[in-house]
Amino acid sequence: MVQSRMRGKAQLYVYAGIVVLFVLPLILPRFYIYLTSIILLTGLLATSLNLVLGYGGIFQFHHAVFYGVGAYATALMLTKSGLSPWLSFIVGPLVSGFLSFIMGLICIRLSKLYFGMLQISLGSLVWIIVYRWYSFTGGDDGIHGVPLPDIISSPNSAYYFTLIVTAACLFVTYKMIRSPFGSALQGIRDNPVRSEMIGINVKRHQLLALIIAGFFAGVAGSLFIVVDNTVFPDMLFWTLSLEVLIMCLLGGWFTFLGPMLGAAIIIMLRTFVSTYTTYWALVLGVLMMFVIFFLPNGVLGYIEEKIKKDFIEPVIKE
Amino acid sequence: MLEVKSLSKSFDGFKAVNNANLDVQKGEIVAVIGPNGAGKTTLFNLITGILKPDSGTVHFKGENITGFPPYEICRKRISRSFQIVNIFPRLTVFENVQVSILSREKRTWNLFTPSTKLAIDETNRILESVGLVQKKDRMTALLSHGDSKVLEIAMALGGNPEFLILDEPTAGMAPEETFRCIELVKRLSEELGLTILFCEHDMEIVFGIADRIMVMVRGATIVQGSCDEVRCNEAVQNAYLGGSDVCLM
Amino acid sequence: MDFFYAIIPPKVLSQIFVGLSRTTILFIVSSGLSLILGVLRIPNVAHGSLYMIGAFMAYSLSVLFGGGDLGFWMALIGAPLGVAIISLVAERGVFRYLYEREHLMLLLLTFAFSLVFGDLVKIVWGTEYKSVPVPQMFHGFVYLFGGLPFPLYNLFLLIVGPIVAVALWLFVNKTKIGKIGRAAAVDREMVGAVGINVSWVFAIVFVIGCLLAGLGGVLVAPTVSVTLGMDHTLIMEAFLIVIMGGLGNIWGALLGALIFGLSQSLGILIWSQFGIIFPYAAVIVVLLFRPTGLLKSTW
Repeated sequence: MVQSRMRGKAQLYVYAGIVVLFVLPLILPRFYIYLTSIILLTGLLATSLNLVLGYGGIFQFHHAVFYGVGAYATALMLTKSGLSPWLSFIVGPLVSGFLSFIMGLICIRLSKLYFGMLQISLGSLVWIIVYRWYSFTGGDDGIHGVPLPDIISSPNSAYYFTLIVTAACLFVTYKMIRSPFGSALQGIRDNPVRSEMIGINVKRHQLLALIIAGFFAGVAGSLFIVVDNTVFPDMLFWTLSLEVLIMCLLGGWFTFLGPMLGAAIIIMLRTFVSTYTTYWALVLGVLMMFVIFFLPNGVLGYIEEKIKKDFIEPVIKE
Repeated sequence: MLEVKSLSKSFDGFKAVNNANLDVQKGEIVAVIGPNGAGKTTLFNLITGILKPDSGTVHFKGENITGFPPYEICRKRISRSFQIVNIFPRLTVFENVQVSILSREKRTWNLFTPSTKLAIDETNRILESVGLVQKKDRMTALLSHGDSKVLEIAMALGGNPEFLILDEPTAGMAPEETFRCIELVKRLSEELGLTILFCEHDMEIVFGIADRIMVMVRGATIVQGSCDEVRCNEAVQNAYLGGSDVCLM
Repeated sequence: MDFFYAIIPPKVLSQIFVGLSRTTILFIVSSGLSLILGVLRIPNVAHGSLYMIGAFMAYSLSVLFGGGDLGFWMALIGAPLGVAIISLVAERGVFRYLYEREHLMLLLLTFAFSLVFGDLVKIVWGTEYKSVPVPQMFHGFVYLFGGLPFPLYNLFLLIVGPIVAVALWLFVNKTKIGKIGRAAAVDREMVGAVGINVSWVFAIVFVIGCLLAGLGGVLVAPTVSVTLGMDHTLIMEAFLIVIMGGLGNIWGALLGALIFGLSQSLGILIWSQFGIIFPYAAVIVVLLFRPTGLLKSTW
């Protein structure tokens, strides 16, 4: 009962947040709208990673590959094919999901660190191909000025498009985590051996989770095209993967909205710090160390613990 | 019901299970006893598919299930609990049992129905029967050792088993908890008609509830028989009950 | 000799030697990484940064001592020591409090360090390219197999590699600290329970591992341009080598480095545009057939 009351309150905050996000373009200047769009889609990327990392316990070290591949697939279809532009926003994520399926099939036999390393290896392979294949992907120049359908080409409409798609994806992800599949996934995270012994086919559940995560990362990649009109190979370099990992950790990787919060903190901080100094990496590194030492469950995880302490413990004592 | 024939498994040359034989009839309670390191847990791991045997066979209800993966074995309605507490620490007590039920009902591929609406009654019924219903909303990481062991059994029951394997169900329990746990095992056998295979160090418990006993030493079965047969068996007395476990050879 | 060249064309042969020189660097860096992974269980992303710092320190020391031969030798001794000191501070100051954390946390912590180190290098040495001259005595070429030119400096690398391998083997297998380290890799609690101060053993192992990263940085400095970002590719390669060879296994690191270095140099010969995918493909093939690496890993 206490939990449902807490959940009800959290829901209220989320609805309020969505309303605020909807009226934001009326008050904020253009640059901040662009920034908020980036936060939203990066938050979606981090949330999709957290589905397999925090809820699935899979060491997905190279998640950015699916983000980058989704973006490239969308951009290439928009620039090189005469098909409906809307189709490319579906094809991009599908390509990512398919890649995730293939890479998952290869990696899934390994566990933990070995899984992560093999994935980085495969991901680096994809990165090299994108980086070197000038004639097709534009190499290290990337692709610029991707043509968009008129209706989402202005900053504000791009923002609304991003907001709606992100909200929808988060809603679906949340549903999944609360579903029997989500319960099984969390069970696998906590104890794979036990999960097998209660009849769960661990590898197959993990594979499905990987595909879903890859798909949503691809959605985030497509959204980046909408917001920024460009794509470049750094989007699937491994350092970005670790940055997204940091977002999950900073926000709280056992909470649903933690990764989104982490993305918001990091992107805002970067924008803010970069106006003063070029040593953003230094700031981020030091921040990370503090988080690992003092907030191992992340910001939202810490808040949640706090609330639980104030809320639940008195009830138990009664 | 369960028939194990000359099952063997070695790790890096060490024969953990070496020619083990076991048969369990429907409705029986069978105990596996043997000194530490005799290979009891390894035997259970082989039966339940966590390890693959080097040789030998396992038949369940006439079907050869040797080397099946654990989730397949579970679907044959064999459930087990573990010696070392083996639960989902970040889920609540309720969810631990619920996942087990959902998995048996093959609903874990359901992506969009909220779990909170599924298998509520059955989960509650199981928690009620093992006496954990008051603690159902706790995180399992916060449970006492005794409660965790009982939760293990509850999770095994979630698979609606015909055959239940318990690996030292009372290990590390306080005397009073042990008593409750044994009562529970007895009741499960009587009320649900479960066939139970368990291993245990406490001889009093073993002789108290087992219909038959299998004795393992150094990975091999040396005898299987009724309590009296085992008690009077010379090899067993030498190897085990006599207190020395080195003079068997 | 003509007969010999008929079997292996000179172009291939020279690429093999280039690959072997690269192997030396890769081996030295990844053996340090492997040591740290095997004993301390830290996937040390900052290892690449230490390699970069080693290279930059080599530049500074070489300039400080006049840029000639003396400069090179001073760099060869001084830079690894400098890196060792940095790593000792990091270990005593931060890492030792976190040994029991999950791998993921340690990975992110070391990544945080690599970010910090990267910017510190930027602050100290600036963003321009630096170059370290090849010492006078290693100018010129040797002619292998009657006429194949091979730079003397690369020959020097080929000699250093085995020396490091043997020294590391002696350290791990013959010294007390090495033995304790190996035991701790298998069962940390047991070693602690026997009353050995594991903490300092770990510190020493960590520092030696990092020292190797610094050494790799110095040795590579005369052959490449020393620049920011040189850590990024290398750390990835070193990780893959370690995983391919078997975590914590020194000989595995050597084998992995050989496969990686050779497939890299020969791959470019076969397909210049996408040649660099060969080493990555090699890792994938190895892990598909031997999921825990070629040689026995320590965990």
